[in-house]
Amino acid sequence: MLLRFALAGSRTDTIRVVLTGLSAALATLAVLAALTVLAIPTVLDGGRNVSPQYRNPLIAEAGLRVGVAATLVLLTIPVLVLAGQCARFGAPARDRRLAAFRMAGAGPRQAVVIAATEAALASGLGALAGLGIYLVGRQVLGSPGPDGKLALPTDVLPPVWQLAVVVAGIPVLAGLIAMLLLRRVVLTPYGVVRRVRTRPPRPWAGLLILGGLGTAALLAPLTRYLLRSGRSLPYDLFGLAVLVAALAVTVGTITGTGWIAHVTGRLLHRFARRPAGLLAARRLMADPWTGSRTLAALLAAVLFAAIASGVRIRMSTEFAADAEYWRRDAERTGEPYIPQDTTFYEGAHDLVYLALTVALVIAAGGLLVALAESIVSRRRELAALVATGVPRAVLGRALAWQTLTPAVAGIVLAAVTGITLQRSLYGGEVRSNWGTVCGASTTDCVVLPPIVRTAPLPLGDLAGFVGVALAVVLTLLLVSLLLLRTSTAVEELRTA
Amino acid sequence: MSFLGTRAAVKSYGPTPALRGVTVDVAEGEILAVTGPSGCGKSTLLHCLAGIMPVDAGEVFYRGRRIDTTSEEERARLRRTEFGVLFQFGQLVAELTAAENVALPLLLAGARRRDARTAALAWLDRLGVADLADQRPGTMSGGQQQRCALARALVTEPRVLFADEPTGALDTLAGEQVLGQLVRLAREQRTTVVLVTHDARVAGYADREVTLRDGVVDPTGLGIAAVRR
Ligand SMILES: Nc1ncnc2c1ncn2[C@@H]1O[C@H](COP(=O)(O)OP(=O)(O)OP(=O)(O)O)[C@@H](O)[C@H]1O
Ligand SMILES: [Mg+2]
Repeated sequence: MLLRFALAGSRTDTIRVVLTGLSAALATLAVLAALTVLAIPTVLDGGRNVSPQYRNPLIAEAGLRVGVAATLVLLTIPVLVLAGQCARFGAPARDRRLAAFRMAGAGPRQAVVIAATEAALASGLGALAGLGIYLVGRQVLGSPGPDGKLALPTDVLPPVWQLAVVVAGIPVLAGLIAMLLLRRVVLTPYGVVRRVRTRPPRPWAGLLILGGLGTAALLAPLTRYLLRSGRSLPYDLFGLAVLVAALAVTVGTITGTGWIAHVTGRLLHRFARRPAGLLAARRLMADPWTGSRTLAALLAAVLFAAIASGVRIRMSTEFAADAEYWRRDAERTGEPYIPQDTTFYEGAHDLVYLALTVALVIAAGGLLVALAESIVSRRRELAALVATGVPRAVLGRALAWQTLTPAVAGIVLAAVTGITLQRSLYGGEVRSNWGTVCGASTTDCVVLPPIVRTAPLPLGDLAGFVGVALAVVLTLLLVSLLLLRTSTAVEELRTA
Repeated sequence: MSFLGTRAAVKSYGPTPALRGVTVDVAEGEILAVTGPSGCGKSTLLHCLAGIMPVDAGEVFYRGRRIDTTSEEERARLRRTEFGVLFQFGQLVAELTAAENVALPLLLAGARRRDARTAALAWLDRLGVADLADQRPGTMSGGQQQRCALARALVTEPRVLFADEPTGALDTLAGEQVLGQLVRLAREQRTTVVLVTHDARVAGYADREVTLRDGVVDPTGLGIAAVRR
């Protein structure tokens, strides 16, 4: 019964279901890939953990694998957020459908449960599809190349219970996110009423961000301490800690943006002289979460981009330090210095950057949907305001204030938090130190002094991502201003 | 030429004709009821008279000037300063308090925040809803919302008040209260009122009645209120 309701719907509903399924499939793939990388057994080879059956050093070296797994897991965060946001896609139509259920006698909880069931079912199918693609992909990509090595870790399968947890967990998570997003929408038999907030939000977000950053900051000294006593932190524990920290920071940034929106709304309300400022202020105060919620995927992408640019600049600093180290070594022995080929790593980072840009653009889709929804659901009120002589420019300015305030604050917050998280995980200092190095004969072994460098802040890359994000927001604002024009036509006065 | 009116106004929505040559005159200070069956073009006539919507042919004039040929900015200014508009429901901004909603037109006219609030409170008081000043529309009853909307329509002391089924969403008692206040205040301020309704009792409050049928003025002049009188 619930199932039939959840699946019966219009074309926007179909689009939403497909989008939800797709992002669930993506998330499943990413998590499964991370689990696979973590499941690779390691062989101790002269003090270094390696898995020689792989061609790709990112997978072959145990030390690098943690980073790969962490990257994959981190990548699922924007994807998951997007999956949750899909629950709002075409929401006005769905909400009307839900209102009809209410009219037909369904309770308010039931209506929300229907929506959540829909999200869970769609992501369940998506997760299964993701698992299917994963299993098929293993077979297809599984044959070793001419050098007898594997491109991907297709020879290992994570334990079955882990697969089961992922496939079952992602739909549950999606359903919960959908429920959370619908919390502020009250479905009455007459339609959808937005709850107007009266209590200001509390600054829990700050605690989440600090908690996440604190966890990350503790990890580095902890690993160093364990290493000194000859032990090491289990990889999955390390990965889990990084995941928890990143999640906390992401959720903190998103809710923190809501809090910032509310506070700026209050300030604007106190100091605004013109009606546009007053309107924007009241809207920001009444529903600071719309802003942050619609920005969620975008903020997660910016945050992750900040982390990635931090990782990248650290890596290139490392390469520079290494190059310097081996140049000195070559100088000492008189042998020619052959610089290391780093194009592979640069290429990998280019790929990550590309993925992030794609994520930013996907996030823009969610943002546009949400912006359009906020205008369309108010169109009667807006048309009435225009009819009483409120210039459209005033409404446009109010919309701009209301969109840009949380967007700018959130993007800056995400960038700063992301880079801080990366720095607290790895620190800014890079040292190239290979201990005892030997020349051609084993007799001229020496200990070279380590090369220590400090990775600069990735200001250029960061500015690039922030710029792209702001450009996306501005473009969408322009689109919604056009929509505002059509939504304030007199015809809208007759839409109940 | 009278104070406010149309000459042979024509308006259609695509293929659907809504006004097919309507000529009406409204005298200054008069309360005119526009009545007629559903779909006869009452709302369309009100929108054209108030300059919310342009006519396809014919003329709309106000105080000796054509307003159908002026720009949207100019008509918006007119609606903001000279006209007040009251709809059936849903015209208050959900996020603003009652006082802020009422103060909005004054702020648009350039008033200072404090002065606008003082004036808004005075109007809410005149309409007997002063205690709701800091509440949002969502927490008010339909009748209370309409009284706030009336306060917002009158706060700029407009010369003309346009009301489209202002009591259509209210029960009889609440409707009579709002309407009684509307008429009393309009008489006090010598505000001209164009009142669209299909309710004979509502039309009974007016000085005169114009009945539309299928987009033209009914020549018999026998409206619902006239029949009742
Ligand atoms: N936006 C529109 N698009 C198409 N047709 C319209 C539109 N607005 C009004 N009409 C048509 O124009 C005619 C007049 O409409 P109008 O709203 O003026 O009638 P009304 O007298 O106010 O009716 P009611 O008493 O039901 O409010 C009707 O036939 C209606 O169907
Ligand atoms: Mg009408």
